[in-house]
Amino acid sequence: MGEKLRGRGMAASWYGIARTATTDRAGAWAELDDGGTAKIVTGVTEIGEGILTVLAQVAAEELGVRPEDVTLGDNDTARSPEAAHAGATRQTYMISNAVALACRDARAKFDPFMADYWDVAVEEIEARNGEVWARDHHNLRMPMEEAVALCKNNGVVPVGAGSFTSEHTGLDPVDGSGRPWQAYVFGTQVCEVEVDTATGEVQLLGVWAAHDIGRVVNPRGVEGQIEGGVVQAVGQALMEDYIQVDGKTTTPGFAKYILPTSLDVPQVTSVLVEDHDPNNPLGVKGIGEPAMVPTSPAIMNAIYDAIGVRITSLPATPEKVLAALRAKRNKDQVAANVAAAE
Amino acid sequence: MADLNISMTVNGRAVEKSAAAGSRLLDFIRNDLNLTGTKEGCGAGECGTCSVFVDGVLVKSCMVPVAKADGAEIETVEGLAPRRQMTPVQRAFHKTGASQCGYCIPGMVMAASATLRENPQADLEEIKQGLGGNICRCTGYQKIFEAVELARDVINGKVPETALDEDEVGESFIGANVRRLDAPSKVTGALRYAGDMVVPTMLHLQVLRSPHAHALIKSIDTSDAEAMAGVEAVVTAADIPGEDGYGVFVHDQPTLATDKVRYVGEAIAAVAAETEALARDAVKAIKIEYEELPAVFDPHEAMSGGPILHDYAQDNVTYHVPIRKGDVEKGFAEADVIVEQDYDTQPIEHAYLEPEAGLAYEEADGTITIHSPSQNITHHRHAASRILGMPVNKIRMIMSPVGGGFGGKEDMHYQCFLALAALKSGRPVRYVFTREESIIASAKRHGFKIRYKMGLKKNGRITATEMYMVSDGGAYGCSTEGVMRKSAILAAGPYDIPNVKVDTIGVYTNNTPAGAMRAFGALQSEFSTESHLDICAEKLGLDPFEIRRINMMQDGAITHTRQKLGSVSIGQVLDEAEKVSGWESGAPTVRGPVRKDLGGDGNREPCTLVPRHTTTASPEEEVA
Amino acid sequence: MLDCDQYLLPKSLDEAFGFLETHGDAAQIVAGATDLLPWAREGRAGDVHIPVLIDITRIPELNGVALEGNRLRLGAATVFQKFLKDSVLREHAPVMPHVAVWFADDQLRQSATIGGNLVNASPAADGTPGLMALDAELVLHSRTGGERRVNVTDFPTGPSFSVLNNGELIVAVEFDSAAEYGASFEKVGHRRSLVISTVCVATVLKLDEVGQNFEDVRIALAGVGPVPVRLSECEEMLSGKTVTAALIDAAAHLPIDRVQSRTRQDYRREVVVSFVRRGIVEALASIGCDVGPFETQELETANG
Repeated sequence: MGEKLRGRGMAASWYGIARTATTDRAGAWAELDDGGTAKIVTGVTEIGEGILTVLAQVAAEELGVRPEDVTLGDNDTARSPEAAHAGATRQTYMISNAVALACRDARAKFDPFMADYWDVAVEEIEARNGEVWARDHHNLRMPMEEAVALCKNNGVVPVGAGSFTSEHTGLDPVDGSGRPWQAYVFGTQVCEVEVDTATGEVQLLGVWAAHDIGRVVNPRGVEGQIEGGVVQAVGQALMEDYIQVDGKTTTPGFAKYILPTSLDVPQVTSVLVEDHDPNNPLGVKGIGEPAMVPTSPAIMNAIYDAIGVRITSLPATPEKVLAALRAKRNKDQVAANVAAAE
Repeated sequence: MADLNISMTVNGRAVEKSAAAGSRLLDFIRNDLNLTGTKEGCGAGECGTCSVFVDGVLVKSCMVPVAKADGAEIETVEGLAPRRQMTPVQRAFHKTGASQCGYCIPGMVMAASATLRENPQADLEEIKQGLGGNICRCTGYQKIFEAVELARDVINGKVPETALDEDEVGESFIGANVRRLDAPSKVTGALRYAGDMVVPTMLHLQVLRSPHAHALIKSIDTSDAEAMAGVEAVVTAADIPGEDGYGVFVHDQPTLATDKVRYVGEAIAAVAAETEALARDAVKAIKIEYEELPAVFDPHEAMSGGPILHDYAQDNVTYHVPIRKGDVEKGFAEADVIVEQDYDTQPIEHAYLEPEAGLAYEEADGTITIHSPSQNITHHRHAASRILGMPVNKIRMIMSPVGGGFGGKEDMHYQCFLALAALKSGRPVRYVFTREESIIASAKRHGFKIRYKMGLKKNGRITATEMYMVSDGGAYGCSTEGVMRKSAILAAGPYDIPNVKVDTIGVYTNNTPAGAMRAFGALQSEFSTESHLDICAEKLGLDPFEIRRINMMQDGAITHTRQKLGSVSIGQVLDEAEKVSGWESGAPTVRGPVRKDLGGDGNREPCTLVPRHTTTASPEEEVA
Repeated sequence: MLDCDQYLLPKSLDEAFGFLETHGDAAQIVAGATDLLPWAREGRAGDVHIPVLIDITRIPELNGVALEGNRLRLGAATVFQKFLKDSVLREHAPVMPHVAVWFADDQLRQSATIGGNLVNASPAADGTPGLMALDAELVLHSRTGGERRVNVTDFPTGPSFSVLNNGELIVAVEFDSAAEYGASFEKVGHRRSLVISTVCVATVLKLDEVGQNFEDVRIALAGVGPVPVRLSECEEMLSGKTVTAALIDAAAHLPIDRVQSRTRQDYRREVVVSFVRRGIVEALASIGCDVGPFETQELETANG
């Protein structure tokens, strides 16, 4: 009555970080602000990926405050420096480095003042978690709030600006040669499926995803990107299809355009591999887009493993899987008949 | 339309207001009560962003005529916890990182709350069923499941409430699970997206869109619409002061169609009026004469003498990217096996839960300010400056909270006519897309047709890869050039291949334009490479990991575009994936029925949809 | 978008009939509204103006569940979620929880009514085959005609059409208790929640006292033709016979030609065979009867 058969498949992938085949750039401003807080301004941020939090973590680390002390002013072409667009897996790579550089620029005003004030070498000034101190001088330590007030009272506002560049070149129009990115990431996923041979329905049960994302800023955020990417790829692999007939869509709403629900999604196990990028101050890379690249071929390879049919045309709907099974049976039958006749 | 007098209790407060007879509970909550934590994602009961409790029962408020809720007790996301506090469910969403773009999250929090109210002991399967009517496009649901299980355990006292606190930070904030700073505003419904914004004297915009895939516009008559009381501005291409045309790479798309439409759903005219309903009526009053033209919907036909869409592209080719390395013919000649296969991938809708929306107004100094969930305010500012004929510093683009983008909000397909309506009327103008409008008007993921040929030695080494990819870019350029480029560069995969020939060709057709979408052409080309490698592995009797290791790039490899790489981590991720999945090695010869690594840790249970047994006793039984 | 001038909520059947008389063709009945609201959208009916909507969900006669003797009566405004939650319904209508768990989602099931699902008359309605397998009788009422009864099998006449007359309402659904019966519901669409059936099969069956022979078998099929149908040919072949895998397999092949859809015919033909077989086996399993293994040559049938 139709068995439910399981199989596994895998696929690997690679991806380039930030804008392709053209120099990428992003700018940011930073200020060590009153009350031990910090202000960061940049031209583009959150589309859901968590970059706001990543920037706050980076700014906190660089400035010596806490993430919750960071106020992000952003998203306004008349009020903030250019950071270009929110896409191309460029946010962590481009903008967090611009923020880091802006913070370092602010520290380049703040640290010399504190070194002067305490009469120590500037390299000895350290700050973290809302406190500033001179290394190896136990009595030289004060809250950031106090230090910034002191700095300002002496006429110095600790502000900075940063611009980060990623050097890419265009492709040769004839042979395509060029240096489209300076950072690449790699990934591999294994998928396990159950195929109902009565209906052709494929359920994706497990995904094991190993991705290099460079230095990880927020592990949960990275997992969230991988899990979300995998599930978008489940849609691409098994159900979603924007259909048009003579230019008119027959999938005009979510009743016909089928998206994965909570009952359609696999468990995802992520392994984060950190191959730090040497070409940026933070050593980060990215994960947004590459997370979803290996999933759909790994699913097709798993379907083949389970039932011996190779789906080469996405999506692998129940109808397509069952038709392929039917074709395979007919072919096997013909082969068996030929063998019998011989 | 007669109004109804509605009285109900909303989040514990008595409400008495009149409402239009045909309006939905969702309209009443959002527009009349200004409780915008309840979102509209689809208007058709299919997404769950509008879930609210009515007399303790969770319903989709877009499916409830407001009259049905008269006299009821309503609870919205804003009412779950006292002001400035959060319930354990909301705190758990914060803790686990269950919110990303946040647009589905109020509804998701409501569904999670309903599930745990019904059964505080709900297991994972019951939780999944309880969330089954709420779509999330960002998170993949996993962190949401984790949040609901955590909240359940806290509510039941199985884990201490401190489990909801932030993890301790170690030596550095970098590498720490700092909780998302924006999560509280998302789990409580406080965050206002563009469609939630309200300013005094605001008008509402609606758009006339083409019903034809390819047609000449012979005339546009807006006089009846303009004569309607309450219609404050009607905008057509004739109102564009600057040089029209937008697009991420080539500026071939008009803000509003002039002499020709090239796809179904293309914007032609926009109306700003006192109410959305009035603007819709006014759109219907605009008369357009079309002359239909032959249309082309298949990229191969378009390339071989189909109707021409754009004068500058007589072959309908938007962009062609060639990659040449070595000599593929030589490579095939050296091969022991040659494997050929065709692949194709379908167009995909981004399906961000937040449909496009925007709010535009003129500031006192003559600056035009446009709020929209744009993924590219920098580029949009430049394009708008050119189209509106205003200096760059008089265009102020503000990126409102983005309820999911995935590349679909990179095109500036409505911001300029929205600005024009504000400039023309002298009033703030808001435009909120319906789901259906978002689907027909916005760009899609490119569908690809791929011809693949690979030559390999018996030992599994690839000697040559040849890929010919034709992609349907639809009616306008959008991001097609970039998509073709990224697709081509990455197509042959992270493998060291001496001879590579790749062509990616984006083609104009009269389909919905295709544009940027997460994984931007690489998803399509790498899908074919990774499928193809398994076919080759079976023929050569090699394990799938093994054939990839045999060919993978090493540190210092030269890529297909002849770039010398530094450190290459493909070997590491292959090892890690193989290890964590407990992969049993072997050639991919339909081993499913016999392999021993199935059903282990890391799998969910297959969904069997067994009816739940949380029966509430009927009154008779209680008596008995 | 849906737009109306008046939205009326009659409190009695009599008041509802009064409204119907007063407003005539200007009026339309609405129950859960979960079909009406999505229908009035772009890509389907677009903007729709209905002068008068008459909402019948607050009429007492259309609400409530009553068990009298062996006969169950459900108001037509009973929502689908009730089949999962009400212990009387769970016991006496054992197929319906299986239908309900597949029906839309938790929230829509709180709005969508059994009467509305019947009147909407979708070829892929999930509720209708369930009620067919229960051999339900629909109680219809109009002011002029009074009460009449129709077997649910005879109710739908085509997509969006039924034997319901103008001015007539479904008041209640009645059926004999199937408390001792085994039941199952098989469904496939393109995902697992909120999904329209490509094929669905509802099965309700009972064995004789010995527990070896089919005594009463009722199977209904939807999604494959203009209206959901009872598979009498299968039922007749099975009734009174000893339960064997071979018999079930033979019966499952009978309804292939019931597939009359305009699209995906090969697919549906194959699934129907598998679903009838699986539906019977699972309904038997629900009353503790294990059929044992089937021959594995079953899959070529769809082309036969």
